[in-house]
Amino acid sequence: MNGYEDFIQKWLPIIGQSTIETFQMVGIALLFSIIIGIPLGILLVLSRPGQALDNKLLYHTLNLIINIIRSIPFIILLFFILPFTKLIVGTSIGVKGVIVPLVLYTSPYIARLMESALLEVEQGVVEAYTAMGIKTRKIIWHVMLREARPSIILGLTIATVSLIGATAMAGLVGAGGLGDLAYRFGHLRYEVDVMYATVLILIIIVQLIQSLGNRLAARIKKD
Amino acid sequence: MIVLENVSKVFPAKNNEVTAVDKANIHVKKGEIHGVIGYSGAGKSTLIRCVNLLERPTSGKIYINGEELTSLPPHKLDNARRKIGMIFQGFNLLKTATVYDNIAIPLKLIGIDKAEVKARTEKYLEIVGLADKHQSFPSQLSGGQKQRVAIARALAQEPEILLSDEATSALDPETTESILDLLLKINEEFGITILLITHEMNVIQKICDYVYVLESGKIVEHGTTIDLFSNPQKPTTTKFLGTIAQRNLSPSLISQLNLTGSVQRLTFTGDIAGEPLLAEMSKRFAVVPNILAANIIELKNGVIGNLVVHVAGEKEEVENALLFLHEQGVGTEELEGQN
Repeated sequence: MNGYEDFIQKWLPIIGQSTIETFQMVGIALLFSIIIGIPLGILLVLSRPGQALDNKLLYHTLNLIINIIRSIPFIILLFFILPFTKLIVGTSIGVKGVIVPLVLYTSPYIARLMESALLEVEQGVVEAYTAMGIKTRKIIWHVMLREARPSIILGLTIATVSLIGATAMAGLVGAGGLGDLAYRFGHLRYEVDVMYATVLILIIIVQLIQSLGNRLAARIKKD
Repeated sequence: MIVLENVSKVFPAKNNEVTAVDKANIHVKKGEIHGVIGYSGAGKSTLIRCVNLLERPTSGKIYINGEELTSLPPHKLDNARRKIGMIFQGFNLLKTATVYDNIAIPLKLIGIDKAEVKARTEKYLEIVGLADKHQSFPSQLSGGQKQRVAIARALAQEPEILLSDEATSALDPETTESILDLLLKINEEFGITILLITHEMNVIQKICDYVYVLESGKIVEHGTTIDLFSNPQKPTTTKFLGTIAQRNLSPSLISQLNLTGSVQRLTFTGDIAGEPLLAEMSKRFAVVPNILAANIIELKNGVIGNLVVHVAGEKEEVENALLFLHEQGVGTEELEGQN
């Protein structure tokens, strides 16, 4: 029992601190990724042939850019865009420095998830609203996004979980977080207990986020 | 009210072009119900979607109340569309919204004030008979109920015209009947002009004043429902009529019967259906009529009786007898046997 209490006393503040860092990184990065990713996803759908903004050039350009970014593993992206990161936030290290690559990594992913969520919306409903003389802008908001909400929530849940995974690499630029803790203490310093504890916390967090997302989606979904 | 003038729609395809609608002319007067019938792939859907420009015609003009739609700028088109309600085969309701919201949301989106939205939503839910279901979600409703919600949604815009794109095709016969009754009711009570497309002859039979037969994008035959049902000109029309009433005997049977007389299809329309013309005929001429098949078709604006009769007797007597029937206003058509 003593060993357990010692462990708690010694590691709790550190694990606590790392958990907060993880939440910070995920929270801020998710926020910006949603702000960029959702409109990007909408644009991807609307610029498709036969849709409201039907624009081949725009559609193919967006597609290409998203595919290119999504091809690069996060750890490489992190270093590849160091100068860009520094340009935007003034630093390339710490939580601040890792947000830029995290957003760049996650927003195309969210855009893709948004695209598939929006494509699930029955085209017939959009047509019915067009036939009622309702403007495209209002249809996007009140029909497409509304009907796609369950899939959007599930998509964002998936994106959040993958974002948590990506933050583990953030330690490489000194941003901390749970992944970094597990790597530095658990792997490099053979503190196996720390690794187990961290992994356990990560499992719990992912479980919570996933079931929260599932429940929310199920509540909105009515069929 | 609705005038389509030489409307064509051509879709570009890989090697050649596909003409879905070929110079269609349609004229629906205020308060009438017109139907376009055709097999799948005939271009019906494309045609009706051209009316409110869900599909832009390649050429031709569309007039709604004298206003030409294809040349309208977007915001004016939106206003014009609000006077044209539309219902669909797949209902096209919001899955995530209640029955009430499915009617109220479009009203809010076209800028109708709150009190009016509530009043209209409740009024039209009452009219379609779903007032008690206002808090249900579409997934909890039957197909017929979903179509009622869609009809209420269309009516709530208080349109002058209703377009129906195969609205009953996904429904069972009994539900189809009740939806058709509802369409008749709104046509009579609100004077809404209806243009519908269908592949079901019974829809035309029950509610249409006027019919267009569409084949490969072309209107091959059109006329009042009674004319078309009593005197079809084109094979496609005859085939469609065959779906609601048996029209033909086997050629071998006809050949056999032709040895002793003539096999005729007699068509009775209107008042003459009530007169004992066959009895009269056999009294006046030396012929013996034998009824082989009979049916009666009730249309919206009248009744048509069909008899397939074997008229036995000498050739000359048979001819005179048929001439007599013809003079009385009975349609006669000789059925062909095997050659």
